[in-house]
Order: sequence, then C-alpha cells, then structure tokens
Amino acid sequence: MIRYEEATKRYGPGPSALDGLTLEVPAGETCVLVGPSGAGKTTALKLVNRLVEPTSGRVLIDGRDVASTDPVTLRRGIGYVIQQVGLFPHLDVAANVATVPRLLGWDRRRIDARVDELLDLVGLEPGTYRHRRPDELSGGQRQRVGVARALAADPPVLLMDEPFGAVDPVTRSRLQDEFLRLQRSLRRTVVLVTHDIDEALRLGDRLAVLATGGRLEQYGTPADVLARPATPFVADFVGAGRTLRRLDLLAAADALTPAGPPAPGPTVPSDATLADAMAALLTSDAPAVGVVENGSVLGAVTLDSIRAVLRRDDTAAGPEARSHGEVEVEGNSVVQDDVEGVVGAEGEGA
Amino acid sequence: MDHRPELWSETGTHARLVALALFVAVPPAVALGVVAARRPRLAAVAVGTAGVIFTVPSLALFALLVAPLGLGTAPAVAALALYSVLPVLRNTVVGLAEVPAEAVEAARGMGMTETQALWRVRLPLALPVVVGGVRVAAVTAVGVGTVAALVAAGGLGDSIFAGLRAGDDAEVLAATAVIAALALSVDGCLAFIERRLRRGR
Repeated sequence: MIRYEEATKRYGPGPSALDGLTLEVPAGETCVLVGPSGAGKTTALKLVNRLVEPTSGRVLIDGRDVASTDPVTLRRGIGYVIQQVGLFPHLDVAANVATVPRLLGWDRRRIDARVDELLDLVGLEPGTYRHRRPDELSGGQRQRVGVARALAADPPVLLMDEPFGAVDPVTRSRLQDEFLRLQRSLRRTVVLVTHDIDEALRLGDRLAVLATGGRLEQYGTPADVLARPATPFVADFVGAGRTLRRLDLLAAADALTPAGPPAPGPTVPSDATLADAMAALLTSDAPAVGVVENGSVLGAVTLDSIRAVLRRDDTAAGPEARSHGEVEVEGNSVVQDDVEGVVGAEGEGA
Repeated sequence: MDHRPELWSETGTHARLVALALFVAVPPAVALGVVAARRPRLAAVAVGTAGVIFTVPSLALFALLVAPLGLGTAPAVAALALYSVLPVLRNTVVGLAEVPAEAVEAARGMGMTETQALWRVRLPLALPVVVGGVRVAAVTAVGVGTVAALVAAGGLGDSIFAGLRAGDDAEVLAATAVIAALALSVDGCLAFIERRLRRGR
C-alpha cells in the first residue's frame, strides 16, 4: 500500500509542482495519475522512489516513510518503467532485464532462469530475443523489455511513467491489454502516470486527476470520475464523450429489464459491456438486446434501461464504484459547480 | 634508402614517445572529464586551460619543459602528454553529456549507486567518443613528436633535422613519409576500435 500525506514539492519560488497531495493506493491496485502537463504527475511518481524528495509531507509504503530507507535499497525494491523506456543501448535484452537481479547479487543460473521467465511473461520468445540489442527491437518490443526489466526482482510496487507513450496507437492498445492481463495475475501495487484520459480510464482501478500546479481535483474509480466529476476542471478534462465512455465501464448485466428479448433478437454474452449492448441495439431493428449466460437468457437491455443505469449512477455510487473499493471513496455528493476548495475523495489537499 | 636502418629505429623511438605520452595523459584526462562532466564551471575551466596549453607552439612548449626536466625523453613525453589532455578531456565531457538521459535515469531509478551508474552505463556509452578523443590526441602527438629531436629525445625528427642541415631533401621526405604513415596507421587502428565500440552500443 502506498500513501501520500500532504506531499508538496516546489522546485523554486513560484507555483508548486505538487500541492499537498494526500491519497492512498491500496495494495494490488493500479492508481493512475492523470492530468495535463505541469500537473505534477511525474513529480508525484518520483516521490515514491525518492528520485524527487518532497519539500514537505511524506510518502509511505506499507506504513513506512520512504525517507527512512536508503534510496538505493529502496529503488531496488521498486519496479520502474520510464518514458522513452530507457533501455541501456549497449546491453542486450537479457542484460537489460537482469539489471536489478545483478545489483542484488543473484547467482547466474537464477538470473538466466528469471530472464527467460520474464521474457515469456511479456510475450517475447527468449530464444529469439535474449541476445538482441535494444536498437534491433520495435518500439512495442522495447516497451515489453522495459516492463520485464521492472518486474525482474519481483517488486511489490511498480512505478510507470507514460509507459506506453512512445508507441503507435495500435501497439499501445495491445500493450494496454497485456498490462491488464499481467496485472490481473500479478496484482502489484502500481502507480502509473499518463496524460491520456482514455488510457487512465482503461488501466486504472483508481484515478487521481491532477490540475496544473499539482492540485488533486478528484480521486476515485473510473466509473465515479465519469459519472460524477468533482469539479468543472475534471468534467472538462474527462471531456464531452464521457457518457459514451461510461458505457465501456458498465456491465450489460447491470442494465437488465425483467422482460426477455423478442425471440430472434440480438444477444450479447453476460460479460459484455453496456457499450457492446448499445452497439447491438443500434445495429439491429430490435427494441431490446438479450444478455445470455451459458445459453440461458438473463434478461434484456433496452435504451430505457441504459438511461436508467446512467441516471442512477449520476446520483449514487454505482455497483462498479462499490466493487472496486476496500477503501470507500468519499465525496460522491460533491456539487459540480462548487469550484473552490472542493475536490474528490481525500480532497483536503486542495 | 641508405638511411633505412636509422629510420626504423627512429620510428620505434617516435612511436614509443607517443605511446608513453598517451599512457601518461589519457587516464588523468578521462578522470578529470568524469569529474567535470557534472560540474559545468569546472568543465569550462579545465577545457579552457587544456585549450590554452594546446595552442602553445610546440617548439616553445618543448623548450619551456627543458628547464625543469632537462634534456631527453622526459620533456618530450611531458610536452606530448600536455597536448593530449585537451582532446581526451573534451571528448570525455562531451561523451558523458551525450549519454541518453533516460538511460541514466533508468540506472538511478533501478537502484544503481552513482559509481555503478558510471561504470555500467555512463562510461560504456561515452567510450566511443572518448576513443575518438584519444585518436585525435595520438595523431597530434605523432606529428608534434618530430620536435622531440630538438630536446634530444630522438624519433623521426632526428632524420628530418639532419636532412635539413645537410640539404638532403630525400632524407627529409623519407622521414616525413614515415611520420605520415605512422599517423595514418595509428588513426586507422583507433578508428577501427571506435567503430567497433559504436556498433556495440
């Protein structure tokens, strides 16, 4: 678990880079720091591994102030994936991945076995890629090696700074899928920085929306941030498409009407999103889409039932918001046009 | 052609003077470059000083060093070493500055100490540029080494000055050709090493 307590960073006179950030990332969850440039996202990330020291406040990992651990020891226990990947161009893939295990003095056999295991994990066949050099890899492959390198010594905490920033959109989307797959099985505590709200909504269990000057505007689940932006800044940052984006985060099975679909009508599986159901509705003439599980129809989704779900979530925490949290997200009743002083959960840092 | 045996031994002496000078100059110049790489003011002062030394006419520098060091190999090696400092120092500073910032940040972020980051990441990545500096220093030293004959250190300058005194153009030309050949082969060898290092990056 990572906890920021009133963490503030100033690089000089003038506005702060990070302004009294207080938030908690539960163990095994992905917290995405999202905001425009100049919002202190990278600064906040680097406070965790002490590449940046706070001007005031502190950061705790599992209840222990990071300032009390020697930075070199601390960093060897934290996976780090940076912008532009930062692979060592003079070393091959295996030596890059082996960086931290070597620093930790693992024996050679253990390192070799670990390298192969990790390359498999990120989908690079070890026999083919072990001895390639970074400049012989595509952008996407480099990113994978960067992730493998960060995971090498099995750190419980992973810091990722724009990890998928340097690749084309198709590759980025595939890497995001792989990240989600990995994270489902590994359950690391991840802090990830991005300026891309779509990436944030997709990857984060929780979103911390930061504004210029390093002010936390809202901290909550993606569904929460979309349904109830805490400030005009968040509403603006999330953008006009937020209603459609919400459909991606809601399950079709949560918008069922008791009535079944017309006999030959379209159906979607029970793990489909509301966006899938909506698409099925729009591409057929049927008034309802059946949601099917193991061959039996659970119920149907109609435009009215979708509207009802969106409205319900506008006023109360939806099922997604609840299912995400060991820690209840506060601030749901924030009035949207109350600009001053009100932010999302744990918003005393404003 | 009757001068051939002397030319051979003079070439050996010449090459030894250059090698000794590089041996003396390169390690401290690289070390100074490493220290200066993170300190812009020190870098400016060090490179500036080495630059001033580099512009001192060779005849004057050799002569100045005779007073404290006497005649022979010592002032010759000292003068060639002083000339070698500038290119090696400057290239070390530049080479370290050109190391990709994200590689250095990754090294620190993964828990390398400053010393580990220097030896495992920064110096290996700067090495081709450093070797490029050694190359310039070596070629310069081969040429300037001719003057070593005037401080009784020997080398191919002996043949050149003897030829000039005797009005023997053939001897002067022969010695000059050997110096040029020596400079070209030293340059070629170091260029080869530099290329290999770049490919290995």
